[in-house]
Amino acid sequence: MSTHLPMPIMQGTLDLLVLSVLAPGAMHGYGIATAVHQRTDGELAIPDAALYQALHRLERQDLVEAEWGPSDNNRRARYYTLTRAGRARLRVEAVNWRRYARAVEAVLAGS
Amino acid sequence: MRHSNRRRPFWYLQRSADRVAAEIDEELRGHLEMRADDLQRRGLSPDAAMREAIRRFGDLDTTRQYCREQDRQLEARVRRGLMIDELLQDIRISLRGLVRAPVMTLAIVLTVGLGIGATTVIFGAIDAALLRPLPYAQPNHLVRIYTDSAPNRFPFSVADYLALTTQQTQFAQIAAYASRPIVFSDGTIAERLRARSVSWNYFDALGIKPAAGRAFEEADARRGAAPAAIVSYSFWQQRLGGHADALGAAIRLDGVGHTVVGILPRAVGPLEATQDVFVAGHWDPPPRKGPFFLTVIGRLRSDAARTAAAEELHVINRRLFPIWKASYQDDRATWSMLDLDAFIVGDIGTIAGLALTAVALVWLIACGNASSLLIARVTSRRRELAVRAALGASRTRVVRYLLAESVLLAVGASAIGVAIAAAGIDLVRSVGAGYFPRSSEIALDGPVLWVLAALTAASALLFGLVPAVHGSGGPVEEALRSSGRGSTGGVAARRLRRALVAAQFAIATPLLIVAGLLLVSLNQLSGVDLGFDTRNLLSGSIQLPMTQYADAGQRVSFWNELQRRTAALPGVAGAALADSRPPSDVNNYNNFDLEDFPAASGQSQPVTPWLAVTPEYFGVFGLTLLHGRLLEERDATRTDVQPIVVDRAWARRFFPNGGAVGKRLRSGGCTTCPWTVVVGVVSDVKYAGLDKPDEGSVYQPLAPQAMSRFLIVRTRADAARVLPLVRQTIHELDAGVPLSSAATMEELIDQSLQRPRSLSVLVAAFAAVALLLSLVGIYGVMAYYVQQHAKDISIRLALGGRRADVLQLVVGQGMKVVSIGIVAGLLTAVASTRLIASLLFGVNAADARIFAAVSAVLVTVALLACLLPAQRATRAEPAAVLREE
Repeated sequence: MSTHLPMPIMQGTLDLLVLSVLAPGAMHGYGIATAVHQRTDGELAIPDAALYQALHRLERQDLVEAEWGPSDNNRRARYYTLTRAGRARLRVEAVNWRRYARAVEAVLAGS
Repeated sequence: MRHSNRRRPFWYLQRSADRVAAEIDEELRGHLEMRADDLQRRGLSPDAAMREAIRRFGDLDTTRQYCREQDRQLEARVRRGLMIDELLQDIRISLRGLVRAPVMTLAIVLTVGLGIGATTVIFGAIDAALLRPLPYAQPNHLVRIYTDSAPNRFPFSVADYLALTTQQTQFAQIAAYASRPIVFSDGTIAERLRARSVSWNYFDALGIKPAAGRAFEEADARRGAAPAAIVSYSFWQQRLGGHADALGAAIRLDGVGHTVVGILPRAVGPLEATQDVFVAGHWDPPPRKGPFFLTVIGRLRSDAARTAAAEELHVINRRLFPIWKASYQDDRATWSMLDLDAFIVGDIGTIAGLALTAVALVWLIACGNASSLLIARVTSRRRELAVRAALGASRTRVVRYLLAESVLLAVGASAIGVAIAAAGIDLVRSVGAGYFPRSSEIALDGPVLWVLAALTAASALLFGLVPAVHGSGGPVEEALRSSGRGSTGGVAARRLRRALVAAQFAIATPLLIVAGLLLVSLNQLSGVDLGFDTRNLLSGSIQLPMTQYADAGQRVSFWNELQRRTAALPGVAGAALADSRPPSDVNNYNNFDLEDFPAASGQSQPVTPWLAVTPEYFGVFGLTLLHGRLLEERDATRTDVQPIVVDRAWARRFFPNGGAVGKRLRSGGCTTCPWTVVVGVVSDVKYAGLDKPDEGSVYQPLAPQAMSRFLIVRTRADAARVLPLVRQTIHELDAGVPLSSAATMEELIDQSLQRPRSLSVLVAAFAAVALLLSLVGIYGVMAYYVQQHAKDISIRLALGGRRADVLQLVVGQGMKVVSIGIVAGLLTAVASTRLIASLLFGVNAADARIFAAVSAVLVTVALLACLLPAQRATRAEPAAVLREE
């Protein structure tokens, strides 16, 4: 775990992060938040408020579907899964992001 | 479609706004609790953990609002998609269901389609005749002006017309026309045209603009003006080749060269539609008030002028009356006006109403039948519907699903209806001219299409709503519990179906009675004794071209030669000339004043058909001389007296005690002419039409120099075979003289029966359809009843019940329904048949025999329809039926 504070999420990458975390299977909101946190060693932290806004926005856009299911401690949680359109969007956005990152990397490497 | 991956089953419960908010709250609370749990595990106290979780979350309120808005949009969209999905699904399922029941589907689509189509056609005819404004400029300002001597409406004389045009102030225009047979010849053929002489302002007054050339001008109507003619579009096409150079060309009318100055457009008004040629009339001031032959049309200055104009007509007539007192005695007669469209439509209200009622009732019965069939269908599917309802389908959803079926059926029916309407309108347009005014204007557009659409919509609702509401109404558990027999839900459905069947019979009964009355009338009409042998009798009209036969001597020798040569033809027993012919071509109705019983001053004189004939006429028709003598050759030229022969009806009417021979009278209102004297009485002939009472007729000698006549030929064998010989004879005499409306007497009678026959056939055909549908209705109900009670019937029979008892029970069930319907129908008929009394001949509108006969027929066929399913039930092997259960 890093010692400095997590970086803010760049505008536009939030949806990509959420979609990609959901790619393996259904997850509830809290699970997504912790998954992002853990996978990046605490470098990235999605603000909870933004996460839920993104989830409901993605649901309205038919990119994810939600269903109530049991969580630990006998609670009920809303589980999100990618829809077919969501998977397609993830593929496109991932390619775009990689191209973008490579381009930025190339510019930085030249300096 | 965006919503396609969100298809939910139809029992999916939609989320309400409250539910959405609650779910978001629950989701967010869950998140905070999970976070707090994690923090607690790291050592925070529960309170502190929750506070930290909330702090880390950020703006909770805004997030909640944002999520709600997103979810609300999602829900709204899903709901819309769901509705479209459901609709498509409804239609798919309904289509599948209908295809699985092809007989029912076809029966409904065809019968309702027939109803829709036929009702549309008749409405189209009524729309053209009664509802559409006349195709003239500002038609509501046009009136027909006539001499009003109730119950008669007489045309104007030239004296009337000239007085009106010079004295009136309330009309923008006064126009007049008179029919005038004109002979057209182009060197090879001669043809009698349908022509009119019109006042020069006629086209202007009606607002008709010629398609080419000009209308008449004042100069055309002056004496000595170069003869000008305006021709119809079809005449231009067929006789003048349709070329542009026809304008200005000379055509020979009555042997005189006329310049074609105008060609009318293809579409003209009903007054012009049947005419070939128009010439400008020159009408000089006459020496006496008659004859009355001008139809006068006025264009009012404005709507406001209506009352003033009517008043002015009375005033001018009163002013005119003393001048012509000597030649015109009826002082009760006045001048009146009538809207032009009412004049053109005439008296078709009853016929139109009857025809429309007949077809609309058939449509209604067809819908009732469809309703009944669909109820049976819904009843047998009660369980399926109940399952749907149990799975969460709302009541409206189920109703809508059932309505989709009705809509599909209605759409199918309207497709058939459109086809029938299109074909029917073509038919009425081509052959309907004799029955409906303005039939050429019938079209499948505007209000007619609206009626078609309304009928379709009403059909869907009528035969859909009842079974739909009914089918979804029952308690779910009950329907689910009940076995496949569905007997529990059947009670209400059965009651409803029976009511429908009773209604069908209640509608069919009066229709059949009216059809019966019309058919009996038709039979009476065709059995009318015209007073002579109608076989082997040929007649035709001959018109001499005016110029070639300007000399009276020429005309006399033509007629004499024609009659002599025709009589000498092989197969001809005799030939005569006359100005009229039975059964309905009377040239002249004349008024007269009996010397012994003069009409009181100011009273109208008696009027009868007044026929001019050659002496051979009586022999050709085979009339019996009862008293006195027949007309002779020399009677035609006598100047001291005018000898006439009357028929028995005339003699009885005016001299019931006998002694008509030798009586004297003044004819035509002429007080200075020589006496007219009755010289003989012959047997009766009907001239005024088959359906009119015979009020007596008068024969006078035919003036030898007349311009136009009927040639009447008695043949020894088939009259139609002599016709070419007669044509040949006329052609040899003068190729420029046409023979028109040649026909055998049987053909003429047939023509005059055409209108009543068409009406009877139409109504009878639709009554038959109504009967058939009613029978299908009662058969369906009984078949269903028997099917539902197969078990009970079998048990009864197995336990030794008598077959006849079972039959009686089942048939009695059906006949109870039928007789309720028939009685209701009979009551309706009693109350309503007198509305068509004017269409009947020789039969009373409340004729008990017809009422009884129709009831008997209905009961008999209904009995058969009930008996068939009942017998099938009693013949079934009880053991087999019981095993099936």
